[in-house]
Amino acid sequence: MRKKSAPFTLLAMLAVGLIAFSFAAFGNPSPEVKSLGSVPCGEEMRGVASEGRVFKLCDGETKVAVQVADSERTGRMSREAAQQVAARLMEEWAKMKQAKSPEAPIVLAHKGEPHTRREMRTWDTELDGAVKEGYRIFHDSSLGTNGISCDMCHPDGKDTHPYTYPKFQTQLKKVALLRDMINWCIENPLEGQKLSDEDSKMKAVEMYILWSNKGEVAVPGKH
Amino acid sequence: MSKRMRGDPGRWGLFVLGLSLLGFLVIFSTAIFRPSSPSVSTASDYPVKVPLGLVDPEVPQENPMTAAKIELGRQLYFDKRLSVDDTVSCATCHDPKKGFADSEKVGIGIQGKLGNRNSPTSLNAALYDLQFWDGRAPSLEEQAKGPIVNPVEMGMPSLDTLAEKLKKIPEYQKAFGEVFEGKMTADNIVKAIAAYERTLLAGDSPFDRYLYGKEENAISPAAKRGLEVFREKGRCVTCHEILSSYALFTDNKFHNVGVGMDKPSPDLGRFLATKEDKDVGAFKTPNLRSVALTAPYMHDGSEATLESVVELYNKGGVPNRHLDGGIRPLNLTEQEKKDLVDFMKSLTSPEVEKIGAPSPSK
Amino acid sequence: MERKFSRREFLEVSAQGAAAAGLASLLDGFGWSGPQSAEAGPEAQPFTFAYISDAHLYEKKLNKRFVRSIEKTVADVNALDPQPDFVLFGGDLAQLGQKGELDLGKEILDGVRAKRVMMVGEHDWYLDMGEHWRELFGPDTYSFDHKGIHCVVLNSVIVEDYWTAPKLSPMERMKAMAQLDNPNGRPFTVGEAQREWLNKDLSAVPLERPIIVFSHSPLYKYYKNWNFWTDDAEQVQAILAPFQRVTVVHAHTHQVLTNRIGTIRFHGVLSTAWPWPYAHKGLPRFTAQQDRADPFDQFDGCGWGTVEVLANGGVNKNYNLWGRKPTKVSYEWLSTVNEATLPDPYEVGPHY
Repeated sequence: MRKKSAPFTLLAMLAVGLIAFSFAAFGNPSPEVKSLGSVPCGEEMRGVASEGRVFKLCDGETKVAVQVADSERTGRMSREAAQQVAARLMEEWAKMKQAKSPEAPIVLAHKGEPHTRREMRTWDTELDGAVKEGYRIFHDSSLGTNGISCDMCHPDGKDTHPYTYPKFQTQLKKVALLRDMINWCIENPLEGQKLSDEDSKMKAVEMYILWSNKGEVAVPGKH
Repeated sequence: MSKRMRGDPGRWGLFVLGLSLLGFLVIFSTAIFRPSSPSVSTASDYPVKVPLGLVDPEVPQENPMTAAKIELGRQLYFDKRLSVDDTVSCATCHDPKKGFADSEKVGIGIQGKLGNRNSPTSLNAALYDLQFWDGRAPSLEEQAKGPIVNPVEMGMPSLDTLAEKLKKIPEYQKAFGEVFEGKMTADNIVKAIAAYERTLLAGDSPFDRYLYGKEENAISPAAKRGLEVFREKGRCVTCHEILSSYALFTDNKFHNVGVGMDKPSPDLGRFLATKEDKDVGAFKTPNLRSVALTAPYMHDGSEATLESVVELYNKGGVPNRHLDGGIRPLNLTEQEKKDLVDFMKSLTSPEVEKIGAPSPSK
Repeated sequence: MERKFSRREFLEVSAQGAAAAGLASLLDGFGWSGPQSAEAGPEAQPFTFAYISDAHLYEKKLNKRFVRSIEKTVADVNALDPQPDFVLFGGDLAQLGQKGELDLGKEILDGVRAKRVMMVGEHDWYLDMGEHWRELFGPDTYSFDHKGIHCVVLNSVIVEDYWTAPKLSPMERMKAMAQLDNPNGRPFTVGEAQREWLNKDLSAVPLERPIIVFSHSPLYKYYKNWNFWTDDAEQVQAILAPFQRVTVVHAHTHQVLTNRIGTIRFHGVLSTAWPWPYAHKGLPRFTAQQDRADPFDQFDGCGWGTVEVLANGGVNKNYNLWGRKPTKVSYEWLSTVNEATLPDPYEVGPHY
C-alpha cells in the first residue's frame, strides 16, 4: 500500500513545488490571452470584453488584436505574460495573412523563411539571460566599495535616459556615451574602479539599462 | 545782370537756396547714417583677436567695440586720476606686469587702505557671466563702477564726481568727443573701460598649443601627467572646465571650498548677493589661465603658492556646514601633486604684460 | 472663495526658520488676511518642528558618504535659531537594519539639540523585526499631544509574511525589503492591528483637534512597484477623515511630494542620503516637481526641512534642499487650490 502512494505523494509535492516556484519566480500566473480576430485598420475591434487589456497589431491594412484577462489595467505585465501576448499576436497576424492570400508566402524573416519557434525561444532565453545578468549587477553593490548600488538612485533603471546619448554630459565636460556615464557613476557615487569597454559587466549593465528603457524614442544630444 | 523781378529769387537767391538744400542734405544724412547707440552696431565693428583656446567674449549691444573706444578705455584703466587722491588706477591692483592682478593678499587702495578680497585678474574677465568673487555685477560695465566709489579702493565720492573731474581734462574732452559725442557720463566711462577689458584675452599658452594646436611637445611630460590628474583623480575639471573646443577653466558657478570658513566672521561670498543658504561661503570659480602669475590665491589671498592650493584641495577643502558636495579628499600622491602644479604653470600665456597694448601697426 | 493662483506663486523662497509672523506678512502681500480666514479651526499654538529622514546608514568603515550627509543635516538643524520644538526622524536610519548601523545613527542623532521624535522605516525593521530599534528608541507606534495638536506615529511598513515559507534568512529578508524595485515585494500596510489601535487612540480626540500623522509610507497610493504606496490607505484615510484638520507627514519617497485627498493633506520629506526620481505614473498633481538631481553634487536632491504648524493646526511645509533654493508648500495654497486647474504632471513636468 505504502509503495503505491509514495511515488504519487512525491509527484504531488513536485507539482505543488513547481507551481509555488513559478508563482515566486514569475509573479503573476500566465493570464488568459484571447484572440479578438481581425478587422480592417480604422475600424473598432469587435467582441471586446469589459475586463482585461487589449493589444493590437496593425500592418497598415488589417488589424488583429488579443485581449488579456488581466486585473491590472495598466503597468508592467510579467515577462511571461507579455511574451504570450506577443506570440499570440504574431500567430493571429500570420493566420490572417494566410487567409487573405494563401499563395503569397509570409515574409517574416531573412531569406524568406519564417522564424521558427525554436529560434524565437533562443533569442528570448539568450536576451533574457543577458538582461537578467545586467539586472543582477545593477542591483549589486559590488561594483563599488561603499555599499551603494545603481538601483538606489535608479530603481528599474529609471532616470538613466540612455536614449539621449551621445550628448554633452555636463559632469564629464565632454560628449559622452552611456558607458562613460556608467563609469563615472561607478567611480564617484559608488567609489569603485571603472570598467573597461570590453568588460562583460559593463556590457551587462548597459544591456539592462537599455532594455529597461525600451520603447523610448532615441533623441541623441537631448539635454 | 538780369533785372530781378519781384518774387524772382535771382542768382543769389538760388545760391542761398542751393546752399541750404546742401546743408539740409548733410544734416539729414548724418542724422540717418551716424552710428546710433542701441541696436544697430554689432560686435564685429572691431574684430577682437581671440587667442588659441578661447572663444570671443559676449559684447553687449549697447557697448559695441571700436578702436577709439578701446583706446579711451585703456587710457582710463591706467589713469590714477580716477581715484580721489590721484594715487590709484585700475592698473594698480590689476597690473599687466603682475598678470593683471597684484601680489598682495587683498587689494590695497588709496592711503594704503586694505580691501577685503584678493584682486582677481582682468585677463579673460570678459568671459565670465558675472563679475566679482560673489557675482554681484552682471557685466564688466557694472563691475568697473565698484572700485571707483569704494572708499578703500579708489575712494571717489560718486561716479558723477568722477565724470565732473574728467570733464576738466582736455585729452578726455577730446576722446569722449570722438567716442561718445562728448557725453562724459559715468556710464560712458565704464563702457570705455569695459571695451578695453574685452581685449584682455589670454590664451595661446603652452597648454593651448598642446591641446588645441595639437603640438605634442608644447608641454612637458610632467604637465601632461598633470593634465590627466586635473581631469581625473584631481576632479579639478568639473569646476575648472576644459572642453574639447576651448577651455574657460571656470564653470561660471559658485562653490564653497571652505576657505576662511574656520575664521571668526568669515566672508560669506555669494550669499551676500543672493541671501540664499546654499550660497553661504561660495565664491566664483576663477579661471586659471596664467595662474602662475597671480599669487596669492583664493578670495582672501590665503594660499601663497600653487602647491599650497593643491594641498588645500587634496585634504578636501575646509570642513564647514556648507561645503560643496563636489569637494572631497583626493588622496593624491606627491608626484601627482607636483605634476598638477607643473600643469598649471603651463597655462601662462606668452608676453602677458603686452596683452591689450596698442598694436604698433595702428 | 476660489482664485486661480499658479503653483509658483505659492512656492516661495523662505529663509530658514521663517516664523508664523513672517507667514502672516507674506499672506498679507497676497491679500489674504491670514490663516484664520480659512475654515474655522480650533486655536492651537503655532510652532515649528524640523525633520531629518532616510539616512540609510552603513557603518563608517564601509560608507562615509551617508555619514557626511546626516552629520551635515544635524549641523544645519542645530544652527536653526530659534530651535524647533522637536525634530522628527522619518525612518530608515540604517540601510540594512544592522546593530552597528542603528547604533551609529543613534550616536549621530544624539547630537541634535532639540527633542527627538523617532519613527521607523522598513530598512530599520526587517533584519530583526524591530528588536534593536525598540531597544534604542522605544515603541514604533505611539501618540502624543503638543501645543494643542494630536500627533500620531505609525509603523506603516508592515508587509505580509513572504519570508517564512521559503525560509529566507534575516539578511535575505532585509535585502529583499531594501530593494525598492523588488518585483517580488509586498505592499506596505498599516495593518489591522494598528488601524484598530489608531481608531481607539483617536476615539479620545475631539474632531476639532488638529491631527498630524507621522508615517513612513505615504498613506495613499502613488506607485506600487516602488512601495510609494500603502495598501490599506483608504481604510486609514477613513479613520482620519472625520477630523477637521489632518496632515500626514511621510517619508520613504526621497523627493518633494505633495498631495491632498479629501480634507487630508500629505507632505513627503527629503532623504539625507540620496534622491529618488519621480515615478513615471501616479504623481499627484499637487506636487511641484523638481528637476533631476545632479549626480556630480552628492547633496543635490537631498536635504531636510521644517514644518510650521499654524494656529489652525494646518501646516506650511518647507523643504531645505541643499544646493537649491528652498521650496515651500503653504497651507493656504494646498487648501484652496482647485485640483482640476492643476496640469497633469506628466505633461508639464521634467521627464524622468
